[in-house]
Amino acid sequence: MTLTDEALSTRAITTADIEGKGRRPRGRRKPPVVTGILLGILCLLMLAPFIWMTLSVTKPTNVAFANPPVYWGYEPTFQAFVNLWETTYFSDYLVNTLVVAVVSTIIALIIGIPAAYALSRFPNYISALLLVLALIFRALPRFAVVLPMYDITRALGIYDTTFALAIALVAINQPFTIWLLRNFFAEIPRELDEAAMIDGCTRIGMLRRVMIPLMGPGILTAGIFVFLFAFQEYLTALVLTDTSSKTVPVFIATQLGQTLPMLQQAGAASILLTIPVILIAFVAQKYLVAGLSDGAVKG
Amino acid sequence: MKAREFWILFAPSFLVMGGLLVIPLVRTIQWSFESVRYGTPGTFVGLDNFADALTDPRFGQAALFTIIVTVITTAILLVLGYVVATGIDRLTKSRPLVLGIMLVSYVLPNLVGAVAFSWLVNDNFGGIVNRFIGLITGTQVLWFTEQVPNAILIIANTVWHMLPFAMLIILAGLQGVPVELREAATIDGASPLQTHLHVIIPTIRGVLGFVTLISIMDVLRMFDNLIPLSPQAAAIGNESIMLYVYSVAFADGAQQLGLGSAINVLTILLILVMLTPFIRGIFKEAKVAR
Repeated sequence: MTLTDEALSTRAITTADIEGKGRRPRGRRKPPVVTGILLGILCLLMLAPFIWMTLSVTKPTNVAFANPPVYWGYEPTFQAFVNLWETTYFSDYLVNTLVVAVVSTIIALIIGIPAAYALSRFPNYISALLLVLALIFRALPRFAVVLPMYDITRALGIYDTTFALAIALVAINQPFTIWLLRNFFAEIPRELDEAAMIDGCTRIGMLRRVMIPLMGPGILTAGIFVFLFAFQEYLTALVLTDTSSKTVPVFIATQLGQTLPMLQQAGAASILLTIPVILIAFVAQKYLVAGLSDGAVKG
Repeated sequence: MKAREFWILFAPSFLVMGGLLVIPLVRTIQWSFESVRYGTPGTFVGLDNFADALTDPRFGQAALFTIIVTVITTAILLVLGYVVATGIDRLTKSRPLVLGIMLVSYVLPNLVGAVAFSWLVNDNFGGIVNRFIGLITGTQVLWFTEQVPNAILIIANTVWHMLPFAMLIILAGLQGVPVELREAATIDGASPLQTHLHVIIPTIRGVLGFVTLISIMDVLRMFDNLIPLSPQAAAIGNESIMLYVYSVAFADGAQQLGLGSAINVLTILLILVMLTPFIRGIFKEAKVAR
């Protein structure tokens, strides 16, 4: 049996593969008991920090900081969440975080989709150049672009606005966005473009009427990633915001060196920030997996 | 596609990236040769900033610490990522659930994950892990004030945060290994370990290379997680390069922009050197495809 390297590398990897659907049944079908138990323990370990944090935050303040820890026999309370809401500007920070994430996702897609399409239909060496640039810009130390941005936004008078932060994140994540979208566009056959153009569509009309509907899953994948990146961002928000457009991660960091009740509020804020991304991990798992493996296996 | 159409479609993205990535980057390079403060024009000082950076023992310590953590973390990620991916590869029905749980630590904001992680060992929060270690060994580990335990904590957190990514990419690679190849190895009498070492790992080496690349790039830039995990980073010698840049060029009104920029430029050069083999690979592939 001879299998060349090409034969191996050209086998297409699909999301269904990774999710375990549509694979051919193997000869041996023993349920993997030991593997299952080990993975179960691993899952528990992976969730442990979050579980412990949830327990600490829902304890009354005097119990939460007891050493040795109190495991049971206390009255669970949501007081930390109430305090967070009433004594800090958490709601403002949460709105800022969401506005930044949503605005930067929308702008990133509006400018990224045509660019990725154009690159997918252009000669290979330009695409290769783009991949290299995307790789380099993804690898840049964030401060190398963010410190000058701080200087520039101050000079322009847009420092500490949600718009400045959103557009900065659009730019920072744009190489990744284009790279991901380009890989999805490259899978749509060019004949389809030509057919639509013969039927009288302009390039842009074709992009809108034919490509974007076809690209639904790809666009959703890119959108989820850009949203997550913006939602997670700490460093850029730390440098480009002060008080009026502060985001939740920056708020959490400023709470850390403070009093114990404030620490507990930081924990409460962390949990509130975590719940939506956990939902994304389960509901949009297919798209996350597709996005991660697409960038890797094809790039 | 005509060149004109190409540029019309590409222009908006090109302008945003040019204005907000390239111009700041050029500014950083320019600053690295200047003595400069925010909002004022700088004066040219030649290579002084680079000389300052390279002779500063604090920078040397930060670079050493960052590189050690990067190497150890990347090695653990590759091994653990491979083992876990092999395990998940054997699951069928429970796979979406396990993947979902695994993804949680990846989609969490890095800072939030590190805060939660620090509470596991922080005595202020009962420090459940610390408590267990105390029960077993009878000694207290000083996770936040001693260099080595603190470094272990940082590595553990980074692995925890990046394992899902490494595992998923390797899992994707494992799907690309033809079943026939594994069966052939088994028929030829290879033990499971031999099959992994001599058949599967060589087949997915491209994927492993990619995981190594991303892991190195991301760990070299670590910053967010050190804020909660190493509040005394500079004092105990566990400062990362980015944390050092932050403390000389931004934190608490620090204004040594030239020095900070010089370190950024040095880091970029280091990253470019490491990326070279991958860049060559991409161009080679493009040539073949054309």
